[in-house]
Amino acid sequence: MHFLRFSVRQALQGLWRNSVMTFAATFTMILMLILLAALVIVISGVEAGLEFVESRVEVTAELHDGLLEDRIAELQTRVEGLDEVASVTYTSKDEALAVFVAAREAEGQDISVFTGVNNPLKAYLTVELSNPRESEAVTEMLRAETGLVSYVPDQQTGIDRLVELTAQLRNLGFVVLSFVAVTVLLIVVNSIRMALMARAQEIEIMRLVGASDRYVRWPFILEGVFIGLAGAIITLVLLLIASPPISDLASDIAGSVPLGFNESLTLQIMGIVLGAGVGLGSLGAWISVRTYLR
Amino acid sequence: MSDAVFRAVAGPPPGAPRPNQAPAPATPGSVPPGAPLPGQPLPPRERADSVRLKGVSKTYGNGKEALIDIDLVIPEGDFIFLVGPSGAGKSTLIKLLVRDEKASAGRVEVAGHDLGHMKKREVPLLRRRIGIVFQDFRLLPRKTVHENVAFALEVTGTPKRRMQPAVERALALVGLTEQARQRPDQLSGGEQQRTAIARAMVHDPRLIIADEPTGNLDPLISWEIIQLLLRINEMGTTVMMATHDAEVVTALRRRVVALEDGRVVRDEVGGYHREY
Repeated sequence: MHFLRFSVRQALQGLWRNSVMTFAATFTMILMLILLAALVIVISGVEAGLEFVESRVEVTAELHDGLLEDRIAELQTRVEGLDEVASVTYTSKDEALAVFVAAREAEGQDISVFTGVNNPLKAYLTVELSNPRESEAVTEMLRAETGLVSYVPDQQTGIDRLVELTAQLRNLGFVVLSFVAVTVLLIVVNSIRMALMARAQEIEIMRLVGASDRYVRWPFILEGVFIGLAGAIITLVLLLIASPPISDLASDIAGSVPLGFNESLTLQIMGIVLGAGVGLGSLGAWISVRTYLR
Repeated sequence: MSDAVFRAVAGPPPGAPRPNQAPAPATPGSVPPGAPLPGQPLPPRERADSVRLKGVSKTYGNGKEALIDIDLVIPEGDFIFLVGPSGAGKSTLIKLLVRDEKASAGRVEVAGHDLGHMKKREVPLLRRRIGIVFQDFRLLPRKTVHENVAFALEVTGTPKRRMQPAVERALALVGLTEQARQRPDQLSGGEQQRTAIARAMVHDPRLIIADEPTGNLDPLISWEIIQLLLRINEMGTTVMMATHDAEVVTALRRRVVALEDGRVVRDEVGGYHREY
């Protein structure tokens, strides 16, 4: 308790006396943490969008005309048995026409032209996937059923591109972030080094009168922790202020895609920002103490 | 020396609390008194010699031989002068005693502990048993006299309730009770050095090492400091004083250890210079 009080007091005093460097370290820390938070938000936004799109992915398999009901039922059961598949629904030729006509009617077209014509549409199976990224396997499997299935349209390409884009965005983000993190680390290291130099005389006297190492070192480690903590808290306050307009903007752009700050994303960002700030601050201080305090 | 100076340095004002120390048992073999160390206790001491060097040499990394085959025993309660020209090895010897440096060869014992085999985390505990005073005082300019002395207790984890009486006792010992709230820059050189001595004494050390304590002070003030160290010695603390001050050494006729080129060239009771 005595030790903790001593260390905290020394650390705060050190930060105060070295205020220019403290400001520089905290400020760059904030910049980095905002960048980090932005990256997390954008990636989670893109992923939410991706998930939304993927959840709409179904594989449809058009069937040959004139198949027996029980052969279709048998195929349906077999497809349903696959791990990747959530459900399979059968739409007959008549139902397919009804759906088609209803859609045209909804578009305001004259549907009288469709009455009495020979139904050109095929019956089809609609396969809902439990894991949308497995659509290719299911497509392949259905295409192999040449006796029953006439045509399976491709649906994957757009999604693949989105997935790839997300991955690239993530990589680019982490590269930029690493550079910024290294800069922040160096600034913290330097800031603590200045604090060590400012207290050189005090450190010497402490050693002379028999202070144990933790009394000498911990105040400086705590200075790093406090820089990280201050940076993280200020960043979170700024995000709190900025989050409603960002949410609005996001929903404007993305429309029906469910973007925005839900509770788990908020907690995740708080954890990441606090962890990164305090982690980087204490790491920098530790490096400095290890390097400059013999 | 005038009476006025003598009175000024004769000790705390009447009625001031005496330091909690027994008189010096100078007889070898007796266990000296002393509070147990804060924190982890060191293993029990074996003998009452305060300092014991046997065949000690120190060669620095650059090949410079600072000390060569030193044998030196300082019994508890002794007062010795360490003299010799600059570069003779006085500072190196002091560094060995506080385990700032390790001997290259030989055995260094302080208060019964073999410093060559001392664990790193035990070094602070050793230093709490040794008070060190320097020529340049080494006070913290932003702190008051009281805070400077209390700092030594604060950074060694002393509980607050024990700090206040210990600091007051140390300040009374050096006669600075009145100046407790002043900062070093408001004090005279002699008062600054007395503050440093109070800081060195606040742990009730068994050994005081003073490295040229009067080097920055004029002769009258130097006598003040010497008298104070003598008084501390009379109360049982071993004192080792490195100095260039021939007048002081010669006048006091105490044990003098002279170093030259890293060797002990003289070890006898007497004056600053060899007496034929």
